[in-house]
Amino acid sequence: MAIGMGLGIKQAATNAFFPLSPLHLPFFLRHSFLPFRLHVLATDIPRSSAFSSFGTSSVNIMSWPCLLRNGYGRVQMSGRQDIIAISSWNAAPCKSRSVVAAASAETLVTKKERPSAGNSSAIEKKDSDGPDRTSWRPSIDFKWIRDNKDAMAANVINRKTAADVEKVVQLYEQSCHLRGEVDKLRAERNAVANAMKGKVEASKREELIEQGKQLKERLAGLEEQLTKISELLYFEGQRIPNTTHPSVPIGPEENAVVRKQVGVKREFTFPVKDHMELGLALDLFDFEAAAEVSGNKFYYLKNEAVLLELALINWSVAQLTRKGFVPLSTPDIVRSNVVEKCGFQPRGQNTQIYSIEGTDLCLAGTAEIPVGGLYMDQIVSNSVLPLKLVAFSHCFRTEAGAAGSATRGLYRVHQFSKVEMFIICCPEHSEAFHEELISIEEELFDSLGLHFKILDMATEDLGAPAHRKFDIEAWMPGLDRYGEISSASNCTDYQSRRLNIRYRPVSEALAVKKVKGSLPPLQFVHTLNATACAVPRMIISILENYQQEDGSIIIPEVLQPYMGGLGFIRARKL
Amino acid sequence: MAIGMGLGIKQAATNAFFPLSPLHLPFFLRHSFLPFRLHVLATDIPRSSAFSSFGTSSVNIMSWPCLLRNGYGRVQMSGRQDIIAISSWNAAPCKSRSVVAAASAETLVTKKERPSAGNSSAIEKKDSDGPDRTSWRPSIDFKWIRDNKDAMAANVINRKTAADVEKVVQLYEQSCHLRGEVDKLRAERNAVANAMKGKVEASKREELIEQGQRIPNTTHPSVPIGPEENAVVRKQVGVKREFTFPVKDHMELGLALDLFDFEAAAEVSGNKFYYLKNEAVLLELALINWSVAQLTRKGFVPLSTPDIVRSNVVEKCGFQPRGQNTQIYSIEGTDLCLAGTAEIPVGGLYMDQIVSNSVLPLKLVAFSHCFRTEAGAAGSATRGLYRVHQFSKVEMFIICCPEHSEAFHEELISIEEELFDSLGLHFKILDMATEDLGAPAHRKFDIEAWMPGLDRYGEISSASNCTDYQSRRLNIRYRPVSEALAVKKVKGSLPPLQFVHTLNATACAVPRMIISILENYQQEDGSIIIPEVLQPYMGGLGFIRARKL
Repeated sequence: MAIGMGLGIKQAATNAFFPLSPLHLPFFLRHSFLPFRLHVLATDIPRSSAFSSFGTSSVNIMSWPCLLRNGYGRVQMSGRQDIIAISSWNAAPCKSRSVVAAASAETLVTKKERPSAGNSSAIEKKDSDGPDRTSWRPSIDFKWIRDNKDAMAANVINRKTAADVEKVVQLYEQSCHLRGEVDKLRAERNAVANAMKGKVEASKREELIEQGKQLKERLAGLEEQLTKISELLYFEGQRIPNTTHPSVPIGPEENAVVRKQVGVKREFTFPVKDHMELGLALDLFDFEAAAEVSGNKFYYLKNEAVLLELALINWSVAQLTRKGFVPLSTPDIVRSNVVEKCGFQPRGQNTQIYSIEGTDLCLAGTAEIPVGGLYMDQIVSNSVLPLKLVAFSHCFRTEAGAAGSATRGLYRVHQFSKVEMFIICCPEHSEAFHEELISIEEELFDSLGLHFKILDMATEDLGAPAHRKFDIEAWMPGLDRYGEISSASNCTDYQSRRLNIRYRPVSEALAVKKVKGSLPPLQFVHTLNATACAVPRMIISILENYQQEDGSIIIPEVLQPYMGGLGFIRARKL
Repeated sequence: MAIGMGLGIKQAATNAFFPLSPLHLPFFLRHSFLPFRLHVLATDIPRSSAFSSFGTSSVNIMSWPCLLRNGYGRVQMSGRQDIIAISSWNAAPCKSRSVVAAASAETLVTKKERPSAGNSSAIEKKDSDGPDRTSWRPSIDFKWIRDNKDAMAANVINRKTAADVEKVVQLYEQSCHLRGEVDKLRAERNAVANAMKGKVEASKREELIEQGQRIPNTTHPSVPIGPEENAVVRKQVGVKREFTFPVKDHMELGLALDLFDFEAAAEVSGNKFYYLKNEAVLLELALINWSVAQLTRKGFVPLSTPDIVRSNVVEKCGFQPRGQNTQIYSIEGTDLCLAGTAEIPVGGLYMDQIVSNSVLPLKLVAFSHCFRTEAGAAGSATRGLYRVHQFSKVEMFIICCPEHSEAFHEELISIEEELFDSLGLHFKILDMATEDLGAPAHRKFDIEAWMPGLDRYGEISSASNCTDYQSRRLNIRYRPVSEALAVKKVKGSLPPLQFVHTLNATACAVPRMIISILENYQQEDGSIIIPEVLQPYMGGLGFIRARKL
């Protein structure tokens, strides 16, 4: 254990390739050659252990001969998350399973097999007449659903969701019953098999063989039945939406409750124009050329609109970084099962999601999906929670079924830039973080000088993952109505049960006591997401609210430093 | 004609909805109800005409009753381009055709039907045993190819392209011959012969176009002939930095500083995807902002372009959207693709348009996300951020008249030089050899920067002069009007339309910039100095340092 000792964080960073011998690895690392992902809760490791010496550095597993031989990947320690992860590049897909191992008396290690670490992004979908088989299953708490059947059924009605709680409960009970039968039969078969091990008379042996055969057949039949039932169970269970916060107003969209109003409608002394009229006069966008090149509801931003877009992105990311959010730039392309795990439907008739031909990939409709995926199948240390993240991405939506006046101009488009906040926290804190997110949104939009309402959205307006949703609607004088500019949702454990993101609620007292074998069970984290800046709707709000009589636009003060000091958008002279 | 008169540009802008009566429209606007696109070369219109009064404003066709009734779109006058375009939202796809009409004695109007102005983005592809029928055809100058047969054949060999000039010439001559025959037959007005003509000519023409499509652009005489390694170094800028400590590559540096996550991206999206984290995100945004700001200052018009484009626009830019080794992601159930470069949507911005001579050159700079399958890419060059499926890029694009494209090519490469030099990089400018040129490029200058961690030079940008290769496919033309001619108002003696030249050049491909900055600006303690020019765009941040636990 001496090699790592005494090296501080800085030295570790400059000596990223350690000549560590396998002896310094915990037992299971030396002997397990399965695909794995190793998480070390660094806060639980005393500085003197082999692991702690890595500090914030990243160590290449190539220098660990026992693993090198087996073609495994890279050990990565990300200081900010206090997580060391050894993950395999070439692991074959296998079922999700997690093994908690006390590798040494002083080290708390969680070994975790990744469910889909394959090289190829294409995942074959099996043909089947029954429900669609996906390669993953959400951790739905069916027992809880059964025990709260009536409340869940009422929730489904309140949210106008196509879910059948009664059916789920029936299926769950059937599956429990079948599982009991299967276990009984297995025990019987084992008894028979054991009986045959000793010396047995020939006739008795015949009988046992026959008995074993019958048991085997019955077992096979039951197991097949169980598989079918549990597939149905998950298919039906998937439709059950998240629970609803007791304060959420029940009913359709118009039942939303206004929590707060900020600012007032600007009084205009001249006839107002909408953003399209303003923008076209100022040569800020081109929808026509985009209709030719890409299709309707696509657009080019031009001239100052581009500078405004970049300023909005920069300003929002800078504001949130200052508040301790970790900035991210995420992939716009994601696997469709990650989309599903976040509670969106990547396929089907009215899907909002574009799919990539010949692959199992989709275009993300929001950075919420890749950000949620960042911690997929991980166990995060209690000590790093909450994880506050802010991501910039391009979002793509088919907007199937969208029509009407709300679709004019930049309001509803197929592609847009967005800065999105995301929080991963322990269950007790999610409600408080929801309030924090909405207050951050309030602060951002207020400092842009907008007038807006904060709404507590009604049950029928909640997507399946949301436990509660606050929308912000800003006044758009040109459109002559309030328009949604952001949305903040608390998804509680709906996404984490699908994305499989858990934490171990370790109290500090417990860690100090080093109580072995009495670790509290893993729990699912809560996830929250909220729009910091959906660029096109921000451009609408700014153009329409900051228009001047001559058609020029004043740039909100907070954005001016991000536009090289530009104070106005004015018509160009010929 | 009185309503529009006397309104200056400013008034026009504030009165965007004109209560114009149909009487103020040129004749064919009042009477033609075909799908159309109207281009007015504003420089040719005296101020007193009905059109000139719109100034830089945008006028909604809704106020033009005769067109409103027929459900047509919007009249848009973009002051910068001097183009008034009336285009239809609901036009049915029809063959490209352009009609030049003198709408009034003082107005030069070009009426143009759009080849594909349909509502739906999906364009049906016909099944056929012969060559794939596409809904558009490039304006290839077959006559010129025939007259320069030997030069073109040599060019094809130099560029190692799968094109057959001899076959193209034969097909062209056959088609010329057939056309002559057809004309003869047509003169006879024989119904049977007429029916036959259609078939014969159509299939031959298809083949001709199909074969002609394979012929690459001409090559600039200075381009070195041969494979990649024959590239000629035009210039070296800066020197390799001397390190007093063992250098690390960008992966090692970035992982230690928690700047990216490839592992999670491999799970969520696939290999060669990545998350940028922490200061890498700020660096990305700074690079984008800085490049756009630099180029806007140089008079380039900033654009933010759609990342999704129709596959025929991809083809028209000279890329292959389908097929085995395509670099292009396609969207399921549509005729849409993800653009591999903003060059495609920017080229498309002026597709099927006639641009006024007076607005040339059009200098554009676009920010977009680029998506590439990187099919077939492998090897050490693919480590880390070097070759990835998605990246942010700022791209320059110039549309100009043929005489100026060579000069603008030089301008583009000198802008690139200036940008990368001010980032403090050491790099080489290469004149790429024939076999390294894509079909659209007449000449290509690459810049390769020194990447000390990877211990080699790596491509960070590319500037191509595509001459008229893309414009013949995108159908972007201009009328070379001399000022003297415009003053004289010589009617009916307009010089013929010509294809513009297009050029494109990388201003900033973010991941390769991040590689270059991390590897060249690394310090012994693993921290990174931020290049001075970028610091103001990162809130004054001067270093990326390891975070303390």
